[in-house]
Amino acid sequence: MKRIRDIGHNDLRLFLKSKSAYIWLFVMPLAFVYFMGFANRGPGDPYNRKPPVLVENQDPNFLGRVFLDELDTQGMWLLNPTNRETAARTIRIPTNFTSRVLSGEQSKVGFFKRDGSAEADAALIEVRLVRALIAMNSHLLETVNQTNAPETVTEKPLRAVMKRPNPVRLNATFAGRKPVPSGFNFSLPGNLVMYLMMNLMIFGGASVAAERRNGVLRRLMVHPVTKLELVMGKIYGLMLLGAVQIIFFLVVGKFTMGVNLGANLPAVMLTLLVLGWVGSSLGVLVGSLFAAEDRVTGTCVLASLLMGALGGCWWPLEIAPPALQNLALCLPTGWALKALHQLISFGSGFGAVLLPLGVLLAFGAAANLLAARFFRS
Amino acid sequence: MSLLRVQGLFKAFAAIRAVDSVSFEVRPGEIYGLLGPNGAGKTTTISMISGLLKPDAGEVIVASTPFWSDPQKAKRIMGVVPQELAIYEELTGRENLEFWGAMAGLSSGEARSRTTELLEALTLTDRAKDAVKTYSGGMKRRINLGCALLHRPKLLLLDEPTVGIDPQARLNILEFIRNLRASGTAILYTTHYLEEAELLCQRIGIIDHGRLLAEGSLKELQDRLGGDRLFVLEAELKETSPDSWDGFRQRFRVIQKTERQLVVSAIGPRDPSECLKDLLGLPVRVENVMLKRPSLNDVFLQLTGRELRE
Repeated sequence: MKRIRDIGHNDLRLFLKSKSAYIWLFVMPLAFVYFMGFANRGPGDPYNRKPPVLVENQDPNFLGRVFLDELDTQGMWLLNPTNRETAARTIRIPTNFTSRVLSGEQSKVGFFKRDGSAEADAALIEVRLVRALIAMNSHLLETVNQTNAPETVTEKPLRAVMKRPNPVRLNATFAGRKPVPSGFNFSLPGNLVMYLMMNLMIFGGASVAAERRNGVLRRLMVHPVTKLELVMGKIYGLMLLGAVQIIFFLVVGKFTMGVNLGANLPAVMLTLLVLGWVGSSLGVLVGSLFAAEDRVTGTCVLASLLMGALGGCWWPLEIAPPALQNLALCLPTGWALKALHQLISFGSGFGAVLLPLGVLLAFGAAANLLAARFFRS
Repeated sequence: MSLLRVQGLFKAFAAIRAVDSVSFEVRPGEIYGLLGPNGAGKTTTISMISGLLKPDAGEVIVASTPFWSDPQKAKRIMGVVPQELAIYEELTGRENLEFWGAMAGLSSGEARSRTTELLEALTLTDRAKDAVKTYSGGMKRRINLGCALLHRPKLLLLDEPTVGIDPQARLNILEFIRNLRASGTAILYTTHYLEEAELLCQRIGIIDHGRLLAEGSLKELQDRLGGDRLFVLEAELKETSPDSWDGFRQRFRVIQKTERQLVVSAIGPRDPSECLKDLLGLPVRVENVMLKRPSLNDVFLQLTGRELRE
């Protein structure tokens, strides 16, 4: 055990002495987390998403503005006209909306379909529009009751009524399916999984190939060190490096990006460490299979990018076709993300990730055995 | 009693016999030189002794125990200095020594104190905290040597430890190795530098094409040439052969013959002046005749028909 520890600690020291290591361990993944987090950010809470809607408010008076605020309160993502292409529906508030309502006449709010928009979003908008109209009428009634003169209703008392807590509330969320992870909740686990695999494979493979080229591995083998101790020492050193990266990203994710790491942080750590074991073993294996360092690096980059993309690190698997979702289950990255989404995005407990963890452990054991079998000095 | 005994060692790579029936032994306090050109089988022999390669036939016995019956025990007894600089260039000299000490089985405290001693002995204390990549070639060679000495090995295998360094740095390393020998370490030293083998080794084995052609002390090897002097005759020898000279082969042993030079030793106890007279009387136009002491290169020449430097 002491030799495994010594080899691992020495390898970690070597990795951290390389300046380029810091770029690949911290800078690049962090940049990608930010970039992909912004690119994938969705409106609001993924459990209760806000559908995008374009509102054309033609009413110059206060009821048009108040109605806009009510739509927002009811859970709509109000777009400005420059983003009209992303809207699922259009709502038009007519010019005389305030005057007709205050004079007790009916005013028609337009509701328009947009071609190619998502049906689920359109249904949500319809439901929330009805709720907004009901709420608007209720607030108006309550305000009128206070003055007994509808034509004297002004913006201030109406908003005061709107601010009061509702005596009855309805909390509604989607039932029957999981929400799609978005924003940093998606980009942090996705990039951490991909870069963990990539870095551990590249550092592991390249260091084994380089140490074989300069004779260090042969020198280690003339010491009273067994081949298994050497392989396990290498994997242990890489896992320490992985742990450094994991801790850095979880801390940065929680405290600077506001990522909710779920209620079971130890399970998140365990999942990532087991994935680190898989990546480290694969790195040592690739370093043993190929002699040239550039071939080792190329193979590791290609393999980790493919595993990242197909495993769901680049886009949420929940929106991928079933074939891709099935393919992800053949990859350690797919299982790791499945577990992390359960823990981080869906707030599940340890029990929910037992299967993904078991599969990851099987991947790790297989890669470790192959690395030990094919290791050569 | 020998600390290392190699018996009938054999290793082939496909049709190439890299090491062919090599046997020798190294005793405590002795430097045994394995001398041969590049590709002669020196490194393959060391690889088999240190356990990196398993011999196809033959046996390696370390401290009376066959190597493969307990490899870990044998490895604890020996230290190996590889031909390449197998060290971590990004680490400091101290970090390198401490790491290799730990690999040799020392505790952290032992490795630290032994590292301090070795840095002093190798005159590297001043640069102990610098990365090895900033060292000169000679300093790197010294660290490479030191990494094998942390656990005070009784048997030291040195595979061309002075390759690629300047003469002064080489002298420093040779002096250090002499001191190791004085402390009782058994040393197997491979080299293709004749001078190193002559200066350093108590016994020398000459190896070529995987076969150990001769072994013994420098004196014993020189004696194989028939005494302590050689005659070098310079003449036009293209069109003639010593076989055509009456009784020449009975009086002289031909070490080397080229178109311009003939190197011979006298057979039997003969007076040098009589030999010179004999050579000047040969039926060729002699331009020059010289007398010289036989070197290891002449021994190699006689054994292989070519110079070691070729």
